[in-house]
Amino acid sequence: MKEITHHYGVELDWVKNMASQLGGYVDGNYIRVPGDKEYYTRYVCTINSDITAFIVDIEYSEDVLYKLRNKKSNFIGIYFNHIEGDAEYIFNGVSRSVGSLGYNLVAIDSNLNGDYLVKSGSKTFMIAVFIKKKALVKYVKDLTQHNSNKRYPLNSKFNSIIYSTRMSSQAWWLINELKKIQFGNPLYDVFITGTVYGLLGEYIKQVACEKETFEQVFKDDVTNIINSQAYLINNVTEPFFGINALAAKAHMSETKYKKLFKKITGTSPHVFFLSNKLSFAKETLETGNFTILEIADKFSFFDASHFIEHFKCQYGITPKEYLMLL
Amino acid sequence: MNLERTEFLYNFTITPEWQQQIVDKLGATLIDNKILIMPEAIATGGSIFLEVLPGLSVLLMDMTFHIPLAITRIPTKQNYYMAYFDIGDEITTHLLGEVAHKAGYNAKLGLGFMDCCIKGILMPPVGERSYSLRLFIDKDFFVEMAIATRVNAINTSIFDESKNTLFFYSHIDSRSKVMLNNLKCNDFTEPAFELNLKSTALYLLGYLMERTSQFEPIISKLVQKDIDSILRTSEYMLNNLLFEFPGLIKMAGLAEMSVSKYKILFKKILKESPNSFFLNEKLLLAQKLLESGNFNSVNEVAYELGYTKPSYFAAVYKKMFGALPGHTLIKSELRDLC
Repeated sequence: MKEITHHYGVELDWVKNMASQLGGYVDGNYIRVPGDKEYYTRYVCTINSDITAFIVDIEYSEDVLYKLRNKKSNFIGIYFNHIEGDAEYIFNGVSRSVGSLGYNLVAIDSNLNGDYLVKSGSKTFMIAVFIKKKALVKYVKDLTQHNSNKRYPLNSKFNSIIYSTRMSSQAWWLINELKKIQFGNPLYDVFITGTVYGLLGEYIKQVACEKETFEQVFKDDVTNIINSQAYLINNVTEPFFGINALAAKAHMSETKYKKLFKKITGTSPHVFFLSNKLSFAKETLETGNFTILEIADKFSFFDASHFIEHFKCQYGITPKEYLMLL
Repeated sequence: MNLERTEFLYNFTITPEWQQQIVDKLGATLIDNKILIMPEAIATGGSIFLEVLPGLSVLLMDMTFHIPLAITRIPTKQNYYMAYFDIGDEITTHLLGEVAHKAGYNAKLGLGFMDCCIKGILMPPVGERSYSLRLFIDKDFFVEMAIATRVNAINTSIFDESKNTLFFYSHIDSRSKVMLNNLKCNDFTEPAFELNLKSTALYLLGYLMERTSQFEPIISKLVQKDIDSILRTSEYMLNNLLFEFPGLIKMAGLAEMSVSKYKILFKKILKESPNSFFLNEKLLLAQKLLESGNFNSVNEVAYELGYTKPSYFAAVYKKMFGALPGHTLIKSELRDLC
């Protein structure tokens, strides 16, 4: 197993160390490692004076243990991970699996040390966002100002935190959109900046809505809901399973399942399922290899008009128009 | 509908200062130097203005006007381009010079790109929601990106203001439309709205740059009169889609130009030749009509649009959309059942 001891930060002093630990070198905004396949990318991007992003797009050919030993404590690291394969975060001896079935969004206070273990054969596209605590608190404060009727007890949350969850579908699709843009595209920095702002927005929304929930809920229930989300995504081409079956699978009563799903995800199971279904369908549409009828069939819509209606409702444009103006 | 409109003059800046004019002249309330709330007597709603990057700002307006206004953006010597995305519910009359430019039923060009030194008049509908987004892009920043994005040899005179004016009208592309629609579903006061708006602005900029890099460059300097004239003809065509193509001679005459000059300038601004512009718009309208559920057969739609042979209509329709019109048709009987 390869071991890499490193630190992160908003300031870029960590980049050189990271490169040498990996056995590579710094090339402009890239960290290049000899022996990497051509499309592998490690890219550092300064978003503004308070935010830096680090994008990693690689496939692991051996187990790697990253030991995060930060030298600065002025920031939060938020890791959005699209990963196929096995990986886990280890903090204070507690490990959490990352991946399509597990937690793919982790936020860690730079005060804390932790380990990240990636298994050989894993394919990962990760965006790490390092944001100064001051800046994050300001975003949250702005948020509370405009919502004087709601109270978001967030400030305390940003001290010494480890927060792990599944990212919202919106965040997942934002990253997916970015993946379509080639590295080296002259507009890459524009798109990555756009993505990072969007992800931060999603993250703040999620923390705001989960904070209250989590304290009153058993951990097992949360895990069950998260597994339920993953189950829905992995079977997105099927027709909706019905609350009955889903609740049974999550070992809850229907009422409890519906309530908790809504609290944690922000939407009802059916809306969550449908909006992901449509996103995947849109993706398939973009390939240009399928007719609208075929897609409607593939994703278990009743018929083409049923699909068109939902598509129009979600995106404000019909599938055909979408293809035309692409 | 000719309402007596109160005139209001203003201009934008790439920094937040311009908002003070709205406060001084219309009595709007400015919050945090970024949110403008309109006085209820004039309009419900407001706008939000953010500086996204050095060289890029975004303005989102969501208002329902109660009194007829003619809002004139006066040309300024400042250093920015403006991209205008109209995503309103109903027709917004967007006037440039003297040409009414509607974004609605028969005129659906939702995207405008212009130099801040060109005058523009906006006539928002009364009692309907106007929803629009503007990007202000610093000229140097724009040129730097545009040069980097272009694959082919760069003709530097594209960006030489003494030789060329950057200006066009078009449809909003799908990816941008989806982003804008998503934004429209969110409330100004929603958590993290500003971050969403910044994110959207950057993506719109990226898509816009990608798109403009594919345009065939037509180098020529535009004066206000030329722009007004060309848009007058495109407007004419958009309002007369049910008839046949009026012909280049008539259109050039309407624009008070020679045919050759007219063809070049039309293509520069609308990114298509007059004839294909007209035919494409006609077919887009055909699609709308087929989907509207107001017709019972493809023949009816074909005749409505002035095609004498429905089979010819079906053929051109298929060429453009890849499917026969019968496929798109929602019969009026069926609609009533729903």
